[in-house]
Amino acid sequence: MDIEKRVKKVLIKNALKDIDPKELQIDSPLIEYGVGLDSVATLELVVALEEEFQIRIDESYITPETFETIKSISSHISQEI
Amino acid sequence: MSTVRELFLSSVKNFPDNTAVVEDAKRVSYKEFGSMVDSFSSFLSSKGVNKGDTVGILLPNSLEFVIAFFSIANLGAVSVPINTAFKKEEIAFYVNHSSAKLVLTQEKLKPLAEEASSEGNALVAVVKGKSSEWIFRALDNVSIPEVSIEPNDEAIYLYSTGSTGKPKRVSRTHLNLVALADNHTETVGWTEEDKILFAVPLSHTYGFGNFISSIKIGASIVVLGDFNRNRVLDLLEEESITVFPAVPVMLDVLAKTYIAEPKDLSSLKLVISAGAPLPGKIFHSFYEKYGIYPRQLYGSSETGVISINLSDDIENTFNSVGRHVNNVEVHIIGEDGKESGVDEVGEITVKSPSMTRGYFGLPEETKKVFRGGYSFTGDLGRIDRDGFLYIVGRKKFFINISGYKVDPSEVENFLLKHPKVKEVVILGINDSDGSERVKAVLVADKGLEKKEILEFCKDEIAEFKIPRIIEFRDELPRSPTGKVLREELK
Repeated sequence: MDIEKRVKKVLIKNALKDIDPKELQIDSPLIEYGVGLDSVATLELVVALEEEFQIRIDESYITPETFETIKSISSHISQEI
Repeated sequence: MSTVRELFLSSVKNFPDNTAVVEDAKRVSYKEFGSMVDSFSSFLSSKGVNKGDTVGILLPNSLEFVIAFFSIANLGAVSVPINTAFKKEEIAFYVNHSSAKLVLTQEKLKPLAEEASSEGNALVAVVKGKSSEWIFRALDNVSIPEVSIEPNDEAIYLYSTGSTGKPKRVSRTHLNLVALADNHTETVGWTEEDKILFAVPLSHTYGFGNFISSIKIGASIVVLGDFNRNRVLDLLEEESITVFPAVPVMLDVLAKTYIAEPKDLSSLKLVISAGAPLPGKIFHSFYEKYGIYPRQLYGSSETGVISINLSDDIENTFNSVGRHVNNVEVHIIGEDGKESGVDEVGEITVKSPSMTRGYFGLPEETKKVFRGGYSFTGDLGRIDRDGFLYIVGRKKFFINISGYKVDPSEVENFLLKHPKVKEVVILGINDSDGSERVKAVLVADKGLEKKEILEFCKDEIAEFKIPRIIEFRDELPRSPTGKVLREELK
């Protein structure tokens, strides 16, 4: 499975349980779904991503820019793998 | 020892060379800490702070927070810690309700503090950051007014969330705080050798209770402004931390955090979990990763620390909040008003020398909660034959988000300000991992979307109050008498 699909899977499972997966595109602004509004929820998402990809995501990367879209998250992860 | 001033002066005198506070590269001994409190007290005095005045502390966990609290108490003034996650209106409520004369803050929060204080007469002073108005100079002669402080003078206003729409002011006296520190440290057996890491906010009753206890015993405290999990893990190892107070979500995140190299946490002897129930899954996963079991503590803004689980059989009692701490009484009272027997569920009531006298300006609510010398906590529990307290539910109506209490009616009233929202119900729902989440059920004009609601909340209410789940309905289910059937909306 490619990175973007895996990121989407993690998002749906951890942060966006109440939305229709078809609605979520790789460039959908995640802030509109509340991702990034809540620092605890963002942290929970980060550890889920770390678990999925077996990488360490440094706190300095937890910014609104990194979590803007599935594409931006995937782009950061691809640099870490 | 019966005042906060005596509490910290005793540690300054007895442990001058011990490290008192560590924040990043700053490391302050108790001797320096005493000089800093003198210097800061002089600064506050120059700002017109006198005995009985109220001073807001809008600061993250930091050396300045610690110094500010003890300096305010040193002058006989009253501290009002304010959560830095709050937005303008929320901060304004605390500033105005407490009639704060001065609000202490950091550089980046100055504009927010000024806006929030504009309605009242509070001045704002930056005491952290490059533009800090307070610059520490160790002077031999600092000018501090001679103030006589009595044990029953007020020392701090904490605010308790209930179902009244607004937080309720809880005043705690100097004697209350000294008693809290005595009872907690004697029970847990802390000494001046302990090193305690504070990632939980000092502005919250849980962090505050542990913090004042640490200073009372002459322990070293390491403060962290934000919960940065990798930094927490580094500090636990580098600073040889012995005690780590946390909330369950922190323990969960730490248990799941990817670490390439194992950490040496052999110094760590007590991990405390409080603020929200500790799910078994987190208890076990934290132990599996770090080799130490978290232990639950129970307390409240009204009473201070109530109990802690120091059981030798923690694997089998992990879901208990333990036995009462020294000098605190806990009784379970049934619906009939009589004390419940072993393992019988009833309301948890507490009598403690660190307990408040009531809610400011709310005589009816005070009468309801404080009866016969006891605080009726609104939590339901049972006590087993070994004296271990188990919390099984609550009578009070609020949502617990990682230890922060959310009053549903406060969020409902806020969302009703949205021009397209006609009706709203705020609920707490349990996630699959046992955590509570805020859910909003809305009846609104057609076309209103979730993103508009989130945008509406973003800069106006603290992030932990923002609904994570939003559902739109054509109408709310009601009983024949018109009461909203909340359970059907979960």
